[in-house]
Amino acid sequence: MRKKIEMVLERIRACGAEYGDIRIIDTIKESITTEDQMVADIIDSRSKGAGIRVILDGSLGFAATQDLSNLAETVERAIQIAQAGRMLQKEKIVLAAKEAVQDEYNTPIEIDPFTISKEDKINLLLRAEKAMREAAKLSRTTGSMVFQRQDKIYADTEGSYIVQRLYESGAGIEAVVNSETDSQIRSYPNSSGGNHATAGYEFVESLKLVENAPRIAIEAERLINAEQCPSGHYDLIIDSSQMALQIHESIGHATELDRIFGSEAAYAGMSFLLPGTINDNFKYGSEFVTVVADATIPKGLGSFGYDDDGVKAQKTVLIDKGMLKNYQTSRDTASKIGQLSNGTNRADGWSNIPIVRMTNINLLPGSFELDELIKGIDDGFYLCTNKSWSIDDKRLNFQFSCEIAHEIKNGKLTGKIYKNPIYTGITPKFWGSCDGVGNEKHWILYGVPNCGKGQPGQVAHVGHGSAPARFRNVKVGVEDVK
Amino acid sequence: MLNKKESYAIIDKVLSYCNYYTMATLISHEEGLTRFANSEIHQNVFKSNNTLEITIHDGKKQSKNSTNILDDESLKELVRKTEQNLKFMPEGEYEIPKVTAPAEIANEEYDAELESAFGIPGRASLIKSCIESLDDDYTASGAFSLSKMVFAMGNNSGIKRFCRLDNVSFNTVITHKNGPSGYAEYATDKSADMDVTKLFNSAYSKAKAALNPESLEPGSYTVILEPLAVGDLLSYMSYVGFSAKSVDTGISFLAGKKGQQVFGENISIYDDHTDGNTFSLPFDFEGYERRKLNIIDQGVAKELAYDIRTALKEGVDTTGHGLGEASTGGFPINLIMKNGAKSLEDIIKETDNAILVTRFHYMNVVDPKKALFTALTRDGLYMVKNGQISHAVKNMRFTESMLNAFNKVTEVSKDRTKVPGFFGVSYVPALKIDDFHFTGKTE
Repeated sequence: MRKKIEMVLERIRACGAEYGDIRIIDTIKESITTEDQMVADIIDSRSKGAGIRVILDGSLGFAATQDLSNLAETVERAIQIAQAGRMLQKEKIVLAAKEAVQDEYNTPIEIDPFTISKEDKINLLLRAEKAMREAAKLSRTTGSMVFQRQDKIYADTEGSYIVQRLYESGAGIEAVVNSETDSQIRSYPNSSGGNHATAGYEFVESLKLVENAPRIAIEAERLINAEQCPSGHYDLIIDSSQMALQIHESIGHATELDRIFGSEAAYAGMSFLLPGTINDNFKYGSEFVTVVADATIPKGLGSFGYDDDGVKAQKTVLIDKGMLKNYQTSRDTASKIGQLSNGTNRADGWSNIPIVRMTNINLLPGSFELDELIKGIDDGFYLCTNKSWSIDDKRLNFQFSCEIAHEIKNGKLTGKIYKNPIYTGITPKFWGSCDGVGNEKHWILYGVPNCGKGQPGQVAHVGHGSAPARFRNVKVGVEDVK
Repeated sequence: MLNKKESYAIIDKVLSYCNYYTMATLISHEEGLTRFANSEIHQNVFKSNNTLEITIHDGKKQSKNSTNILDDESLKELVRKTEQNLKFMPEGEYEIPKVTAPAEIANEEYDAELESAFGIPGRASLIKSCIESLDDDYTASGAFSLSKMVFAMGNNSGIKRFCRLDNVSFNTVITHKNGPSGYAEYATDKSADMDVTKLFNSAYSKAKAALNPESLEPGSYTVILEPLAVGDLLSYMSYVGFSAKSVDTGISFLAGKKGQQVFGENISIYDDHTDGNTFSLPFDFEGYERRKLNIIDQGVAKELAYDIRTALKEGVDTTGHGLGEASTGGFPINLIMKNGAKSLEDIIKETDNAILVTRFHYMNVVDPKKALFTALTRDGLYMVKNGQISHAVKNMRFTESMLNAFNKVTEVSKDRTKVPGFFGVSYVPALKIDDFHFTGKTE
């Protein structure tokens, strides 16, 4: 294979391109879904192919094929595409410098998920469903597991040759209760398929699906008869699973430098931040808000050895005690602001070009015990688990709904729950209202396997770690807007 | 791209290795996409792939596997692994019946002019000429893609399915240096229908009209939704409500409402792959012939989309809307909304006070049972006063139940257009809706 790759790189050079790289990726996936104590879907898949990226006279061309026997044709096509792009180019693409690397990286795992039988995996999901059904009267229960192994070779005309084997494992369960007029859901460990990590089957075992099943089943049953969450302005504590999406939408996407430069203007949108905002002492949030992009953290769904520019995984401070410090960058975007890439250029498989994607965007833990955060609220809610999300194309106006709101009165959880909590805000004002983040004991890393961006559409697997955090005077509900 | 003969040959080969009833699905896809931003081409890509999926049935057991490695040995290995997996599979609730008729559904037609008009150099050239027409204060972004796709199926009961679906799509945002923007988008399988210059000029006009937007307070307003905005609402209604599975699981806003008046009498929604204004895939991903669905007839909830499992559960025939995943159920992919009598221009002329919406951004479902959705407006929001656009408005967020909104539609436009759906395109008019709730605003 290495010889074949060297020939491709030589052909790229021979075509006059100043840069080229090739990624050969072989991905196997296993997905199991159970529903109402039956297997709904079991899908195994394999996809293998090559993506070739060239820069010719400052213009990008990319072509991808499954046919590894004819990569010369794919090089020709990438060159042809780059030539067409030169028709309409104002600025030549310049890649920030990096060192040529020969290296290998493997996701550290304890149990290869593909060595565990389907029978065992199905049984675990069915036992979790049974535990939910035994704990409460439910209308519907589901379970899901997803596993992935990706073998990736990256090589470029600058001399890098990197081999990676990346594993992912994830699982989750859901309990649903319907009435004639309502439907309520509780999910564990998170909504949208549970939690996911770069890890082996040991991660699925650590989730303790069966042990947590009764709790969410009972909560779902209680929710169907719970009152609608009131509308108004309240102090909130937001749990780690909802914080994951809050960070994702209002910090993660907003600090992607390609969006800031307008690459996504017609589709995913841009950002309220400008390229120079990192030099303006911009206050993104309160002193309690320190956020990093960390591709090195163990088990993070956005952890890897090298990105698809061949840049080593890094930990970068994006926001330090509320002040914006850095953006997520690739080689081509970093060069525009005079920096080196911080290693976030990633593609969805072999058939797409790498674009700036979140790694693990984490809110670092604070010093608070959860009790301390709750004690500081006279009248508010503790919100858990995302149910719905929406944010504008500049990443300013967001609205989230959660599965459950726990009432807080006079510094204590009252035990009363409300359904359908919605909260909304404007990004810097919201993060500015944060006056406490839970400590390391409460800090959880969540994997988000469904981040969409780019045209053609690409799906990235990213991570977000957070402890529960407290926010003051947040707009809750929409019922009072007449 | 694989043609019909090549596709059937691969399907026949894999089926010859199978020991059980097996359905094979082959998707051959090529896509070239030219993306531009800040008035220059910045991402220009091409990809091609052929993926084969087999679903092997043994009584109530089913095993599914896919690969894009299609040499003989890999196909044999695919079958071996998939049959081996049957051992571990628990029985499902139903034995899936063999698809035996019709023997063949084949549509090999496609517009060959798409490649010559919108290939790699053609797309770049068209984008360049459009962008050269812009004033210095404006920049353009967007994507221009040519997609060629083959869906082929077969099983060892002898049925064959083939459909070629090629299309071209174009979208652009034109942005003034101060921020206001305008948008246009279109997708078609007919090369003669794609007028990039006209679309570009429409977005440009919208951007010019979007200058100096004024802020509006959240509240209830009459809105005129252009087709892109209507299409987004329709896609999400379909996603949460139009499948028999979503009704069966109780999350659909149509659950328990069959035969009832759910929307105003001026709303009729149907799903019809034979209508030339959507992309026709005449069979579903389970091999069944796709039927026309009369989903909402003059506001009354009528028919739902079925896959085979939901059909077996309810003891009815599938409507041929399976996506091939039991957890998803049936899904309509050729949605059409019936039109009204007046042009959009006349509706605007007859309006005293309303907000004109070009499109929505980042729509999501807040409560599926109430069809409560939220989204932001984007790329052209305008106030209509006394029959004409008076000024631009800063973007706003709506949170609204479609059960409210589609009972307050006062006008349905005569003219309809193809707008993006979750699969292909929908064909929808513009709508004028009273009492539409905007719950937030942007600065």
